[in-house]
Amino acid sequence: MVDPKELIKTIIAAFPDHEAGKRPIHTVGIGVEGYFVASPAAARYCVAEHMQGQKVPVTVRFSNGSGSPKKHDSWSDARGMATRFHLADGAATDLIAMTFREFFTPTPETFMGFFKAARPTPDLKRSPWEKLMLMMQLKHPPPDPLPDRPESGAQGMLDYANAHRFAQLSVFDAQYIGAPLSYARAAYHAIHTFVVTGPDGVRRHVRFSWQPVAGVAKRNPEAAPDNDYLQQELKARIRHWPAEFILQMTIGEAGDAFDDPSAPWPAKRRRVAMGTLMLNAVAENQSTTIEKMSFNPCRLLPGIEVSDDPILKIRLDAYEESRKMRGGTGCPFHGEAANGN
Amino acid sequence: MATKQTWLDRWVDGLPKTRMFQFIADHVIVPYWAWRTPVPPQPGGPPPAMQPGDNLQHMMNLVMPLKDKSPIGRAKAALAVAQNIDEIYTGLDNVGTVHFARFVIVGDNLCMFSVYDGDFTNYIRDFVATIGNVFNAVVALIEGGDAVLPTEKNVDAFIAWVHAHDMYQIPDLATGIIEQQRPASTLKPGEKDDLTLLPRSIILQLKANPNVSLGSGYRNYPGFSAAQVRHHAGVGW
Repeated sequence: MVDPKELIKTIIAAFPDHEAGKRPIHTVGIGVEGYFVASPAAARYCVAEHMQGQKVPVTVRFSNGSGSPKKHDSWSDARGMATRFHLADGAATDLIAMTFREFFTPTPETFMGFFKAARPTPDLKRSPWEKLMLMMQLKHPPPDPLPDRPESGAQGMLDYANAHRFAQLSVFDAQYIGAPLSYARAAYHAIHTFVVTGPDGVRRHVRFSWQPVAGVAKRNPEAAPDNDYLQQELKARIRHWPAEFILQMTIGEAGDAFDDPSAPWPAKRRRVAMGTLMLNAVAENQSTTIEKMSFNPCRLLPGIEVSDDPILKIRLDAYEESRKMRGGTGCPFHGEAANGN
Repeated sequence: MATKQTWLDRWVDGLPKTRMFQFIADHVIVPYWAWRTPVPPQPGGPPPAMQPGDNLQHMMNLVMPLKDKSPIGRAKAALAVAQNIDEIYTGLDNVGTVHFARFVIVGDNLCMFSVYDGDFTNYIRDFVATIGNVFNAVVALIEGGDAVLPTEKNVDAFIAWVHAHDMYQIPDLATGIIEQQRPASTLKPGEKDDLTLLPRSIILQLKANPNVSLGSGYRNYPGFSAAQVRHHAGVGW
């Protein structure tokens, strides 16, 4: 049994320049506001309040995956999209997604092992001779380390994936994930399975993804590093036109991996367009409001439940521990937090 | 932009794009690894259907080399299809499990690409029962086709023949090829994979299997059968 506090400490230890009072990962981010309107189809699958078609105000925080407080926008890494739906009676629900299509491991125990293995180590530059030898073996030589990125967890992740097949897909994807041209031009996946209930009482195991209407586009990895462009680009974009996303819901079938976020579902599963998200303003008071917000993937409304996914379950308490450590705004699941302490 | 590079770094980094290296890779490196670590060609067609949704919207990608590799040979193939349009379309309607189907000539190959529901062997069996005569006209133009003619009297052999001409479908998930070539159940205790060998695995499979489908493809309405789509659209059964 993994202690959520230990989990957070392990994550923080992986980022030597982590600053107290900041998020342990996805530390650099920007908050924007807008609204979500569910499609007519959504209400047929889910009775949750925000899926009934009315205009629901939202706050979205886009972020870089790293736990470093410094901006490294052009680094190849995951990006995050945490969405809070604000409902009429003051209630709220969150949907937390990232650009990885799957998680690294199936359980908190394996995740601890993975994160320890992936602790950054000096990213050594391969000699021309070594690269040549790799090419002769039909292997892809790793790129030279970036000048401002002397360490990375790439080798540790690779070693872990070689010994654990469940981690291979995510580690392979991580090698090629790159950096988006814009926070509004990446697809974000909630990776966990949730259970939605329809008006007919039918419960379905589902997974959610945000698809950008502007299309997915990555930055040229060979271009000169630019550590500070994503937030500026998003501000400029929203000044001219809303950033728009479609919420896709994939319906699982009996036999699919409902409790394993490292296992993708087959491409043939039914997809439902659940609604449209329009982001049209940059949030004010980023440091006092957005950076204090505490999202939680288990903050759900009647009509959506967590599945048996153990990673999803531990995130409930892990996010709360993280909130306490950084003094974030309270979470309604916990008495102390609910009071905003 | 990476750390400071010497001229030798830049030369080696650019090597894969040079004609010289591509020639050496094509004529020496790839054949060497194909000999040293032989990779059998994976069979064509979709992976086994394990769940109900897996059994819908399969792809069939037949690549059939023409006997007569000339414009006249290709025209004969076009004519064999054109002369039987009524038979083909009626057969497709009657089979009822087909979303899309089309014949294509690519180089010296006659190709048939289709999206169908249900089991592969039943799909072909239904077709032979419905339009076996059309298959006979087409198969007669294909290398090795004579061995399965007439198709309605050689149904099982014909099904095997079609399967052999159906493209290998690379798994949707990049690392699926590792499990396909070396199932986890065959690993000895403590034995590890080498993820960096994935590019070689793909290269050697593409050497053994030059024509492949890159994954199972995009679907606009996954999880629905042809019959359901027609029913929902109000144009069918």
